Amino acid sequence: MLSRSAERIYWLARYLERTENAARLISVHMNLLMDLPKGVDMGWQQLIRINSSEDLFFKHYKVANERNVANFLLVDEKNPISLYSSLIYARENMRTTRELLPDEAWEQVNEMYLFVKSNLDSVNNRRGRVIFLKEIMEGCQHFTGLLSGYMSHNHAYRFIRLGRNIERADMSSRILELAMLLLGDSRSSEDRQYESILWRNILQTLNALLMYRQQVRSRVKGDDVLNFLLRDTALPRAIACCISDIAGTIEKLPNNDGLPEKVAELHKYVQNIDTDKTTQRQLRKILDDLQSRLGSLHNDISENWFLVSEIAPSQSQEQTVEAG
Amino acid sequence: MSKIWENYKIDATYDELMHSGIQPRPVGHSLCQYLNSLSEEDIKQRKTAAELAILEMGISFTVYSDEGNIDRAWPFDIIPRIIDTQEWHAIEKGLKQRLKALNCFISDVYDQQLFIKDGKMPSEIINSSKNFLPECVGMKPRHNVWANICGSDLVRDENGTMYVLEDNLRVPSGVSYMLENRVITKRIFPELLENISILPIDDYPAQLQDMLSSIASEQSKSPQIVVLTPGIYNSAYFEHAYLAKQMGAQLVEGSDLIVDEDECVYMRTIEGLQKVDVIYRRIDDDFLDPEVFNKDSTLGVPGLMRAWKAGNVALANAPGAGVADDKVVYAYVPEMIRYYLNEEPLLPNVPTYLCSDPEQLAYVVEHLAELVVKPANESGGYGMLVGPHATAKEVAEFKKLVQKDPRNYIAQPTLSISTSPTLCKDKLEPRHVDLRPFILQGEDTFVTAGGLTRVALVKGSLIVNSSQGGGSKDTWIINLEDK
Repeated sequence: MLSRSAERIYWLARYLERTENAARLISVHMNLLMDLPKGVDMGWQQLIRINSSEDLFFKHYKVANERNVANFLLVDEKNPISLYSSLIYARENMRTTRELLPDEAWEQVNEMYLFVKSNLDSVNNRRGRVIFLKEIMEGCQHFTGLLSGYMSHNHAYRFIRLGRNIERADMSSRILELAMLLLGDSRSSEDRQYESILWRNILQTLNALLMYRQQVRSRVKGDDVLNFLLRDTALPRAIACCISDIAGTIEKLPNNDGLPEKVAELHKYVQNIDTDKTTQRQLRKILDDLQSRLGSLHNDISENWFLVSEIAPSQSQEQTVEAG
Repeated sequence: MSKIWENYKIDATYDELMHSGIQPRPVGHSLCQYLNSLSEEDIKQRKTAAELAILEMGISFTVYSDEGNIDRAWPFDIIPRIIDTQEWHAIEKGLKQRLKALNCFISDVYDQQLFIKDGKMPSEIINSSKNFLPECVGMKPRHNVWANICGSDLVRDENGTMYVLEDNLRVPSGVSYMLENRVITKRIFPELLENISILPIDDYPAQLQDMLSSIASEQSKSPQIVVLTPGIYNSAYFEHAYLAKQMGAQLVEGSDLIVDEDECVYMRTIEGLQKVDVIYRRIDDDFLDPEVFNKDSTLGVPGLMRAWKAGNVALANAPGAGVADDKVVYAYVPEMIRYYLNEEPLLPNVPTYLCSDPEQLAYVVEHLAELVVKPANESGGYGMLVGPHATAKEVAEFKKLVQKDPRNYIAQPTLSISTSPTLCKDKLEPRHVDLRPFILQGEDTFVTAGGLTRVALVKGSLIVNSSQGGGSKDTWIINLEDK
């Protein structure tokens, strides 16, 4: 497999995962707001903050209200990590690797792109947005299913899994960060009573509520949720599970010099996070740290398998900077 | 007759489907019968279905414009263009004959130049050709074939004679659209194909793969074949990816390849360097190797010419093959056929005036308003003058251009090229068409069944290039005896 194709296919998976995550995040945030009484401020601004894009947002918008934030995160092309931008990049990367993937997979991504392109305005009201988001989340799942059923689980497939899981682990850590931020903001005791609503929604964002109930078998409590989402190795969107998947994939790729050890180290780091003994502030720092470790894992993957940048300026420009 | 024919009027031009009046030719009987069974509403539905399929399949081409490059959906007309099998077999023979002669000519040009020495062509034509590459003199590609893939443009005049208008021997494109057009037709007219027997076209990628394997420099059992593309911003990128996919070959860009110290070509893979045996290159000669040609080229591979000359890699088409893809050289093809093959040409050339010849130049300058004038080396329909459709100012400008650089221009009579029914809004109207079959030559020779029919969608227009508002049609070679 060409190094360039490996790189593009890896980014295709990252961007599609990012597309799905953006849809998921907004979708659950809307639900959260509908569960909370009026006046409880679980602000939209935090969604901007966890994606580290406050500067860009306030350059183009005055107020971080629902409409603006939804617009910014979903359909704004000026935002390189908006759902629409991610989908455009995903499609571009795919357009250049079509020879490696089943036709149906290309058609799926292309259809999603055409759908978003012709429904940009629909996200401005909640009803339209709900339909829009559902379409995208289903579309992304459809894509994953197509590959799983139609494609040989070869090296190309492995690079898809690598990209997907790095992006997924990164997003899960950002969603936990969001929980910390929202909790940190809600100081009054009145707000505190909505904590379990918040955690339930966080679980839903990661499609983890049912699995949590089966696994933890107690009511939804902050520490348990954190532990589950950080350290569980069976839940697809738990960080430890993403890392094990990465470990398994890297194991099967050629010339993986030194990488299995690095991933093992990262795995150990996650398992050693002690949620009982940390404050919210410390935890936020840990999550930040985790994100930069994932970033450095990305760099190792890139150096190991992709074209070294000396000759491929156009490719590297094509990708947005690591979020964060 | 159904209402969709209301606007169908043909004058003196030859119509591919109809006799004068509205009587189908024998070969068009079934198609006409079927079209007559459709209401305007039916046909509109088929058209919408086709457009949707094109969008979803992502069949696109890129247009260069001031606002940047736009990826456009492929313009497709749903009414197929039809040709009778018997006629087609004759054309097929003519095309093979032509490509064989052209390859003899290119081999000769880079070898002893007997054609010139025997007085068949003035040496200035080669000496002044932009596409003649001195670096290639003395090379002997396998089977002595330089142009492995050729796309010839055919047009039919008012008497029904098929002419070869030009031979594209550099990097001809369009074959993927030919294949995709058939896929779309199968989707939207499944019931029609039940009753008509047409020749299949979908073995082209396999034929291409066989041909490319046959030119590999070492006879390994399964040579590593790659398609070299200039990248996503090239107008034919879709096609490069499509063909690579259909052949199971790697689609590479220049930066994926290196020439190592052993003068072999390798591609950079996740498992390290892997040797490449055959490159189907879709990059012009000029950009192939910055060591030899355009030094600023970032599309090519430094050292590629060394590797090719050392016989370590095969290139299709071979560098320098473009010397025969020149509208001046074109005029000599019938003579080449007689000279090298000792045969009479089966397909006629369009009469061509060479502006490099003073007498012919005088005639051209005098009759500019009746002629089509083309630059010798452009493709894509750029920089040409269609006399009868041009303004006096355009004619005057061209007069200057031609007189300034006569070697670079040829002129041909404006042919009244044939028409084929085309869906315009919800009625059928005649529109001008040409045909680009694709011919492969390696160890064997192969011609596609039919080719890509291009159609000038604008009423009266003769320009069929997709970059200039042309569309395309599925082309059916219909077997009448089979019924």
